[in-house]
Amino acid sequence: MPPVLDVERVDYIRVPVTDIDAANHFYGEVLGLRRNPNSPDDDWVEYEAGNVTLAVMTPHTHDYEFAPLPPATIALRVPDVATAKEKLEAAGLEVGEVWDSGKCKGVGVSDPAGNRILLHRRYAPYADGTKP
Amino acid sequence: MEITKVDFVAVPSTDWKRSRVFYVETLGLRPDETGQAEFWVGNTCFGIYEPTTFGLEFSPQKNAHIALHVDDVATARAELEAKGIEFNGDTFDTGVCHMAFFTDPDGNDLMLHHRYAPRT
Repeated sequence: MPPVLDVERVDYIRVPVTDIDAANHFYGEVLGLRRNPNSPDDDWVEYEAGNVTLAVMTPHTHDYEFAPLPPATIALRVPDVATAKEKLEAAGLEVGEVWDSGKCKGVGVSDPAGNRILLHRRYAPYADGTKP
Repeated sequence: MEITKVDFVAVPSTDWKRSRVFYVETLGLRPDETGQAEFWVGNTCFGIYEPTTFGLEFSPQKNAHIALHVDDVATARAELEAKGIEFNGDTFDTGVCHMAFFTDPDGNDLMLHHRYAPRT
């Protein structure tokens, strides 16, 4: 049966925050994501994470209530999870313990609004032998 | 920090098999070739997981409103409604894009999205 839709990509994922200045510091200066210069408003700031745009925005200025994302909703790829943890801790952030699934490693860090972001790296090759 | 991409987007679920049916068979998203609980939207991987298996309380994603890009929101909405998917409110026109809000079977927020205005 053919698919119902022809979804091409994820245009963006909202990242709800309570303080846009603190969020801009975290996503722009700590994580180092590129801020999209076409971001439409001061309460909707877009950061580019390679394949997905993260729309950092304040629900309270968009007529709905803030609730943090479930843990690890967004898994960001880093070259090395342990190094990322060290860098974040050196920047004064509290970072979780590194876990190892047997195929990948990850560590959680909270943004200033309490969204638990996962920093992630798969080290095991895929079935076809390629690596991320 | 050197972040190169989003490796995956986690989808909390109370029944991963039901979620898979919804995302793969109803929405028609591309199933991963090896991971039964994974599917792809363009070059972005989504991973379905049951929080309770990790000792976590289930809580749906209610704020990310993951924006799924389609060519035409009205057409896509009609096609999904014909499959029994209920949408939350009318399609919203922001002045630069169309948005139609719905949820997956666990209440995770999704939207059909199409920006029709050019970027400045």
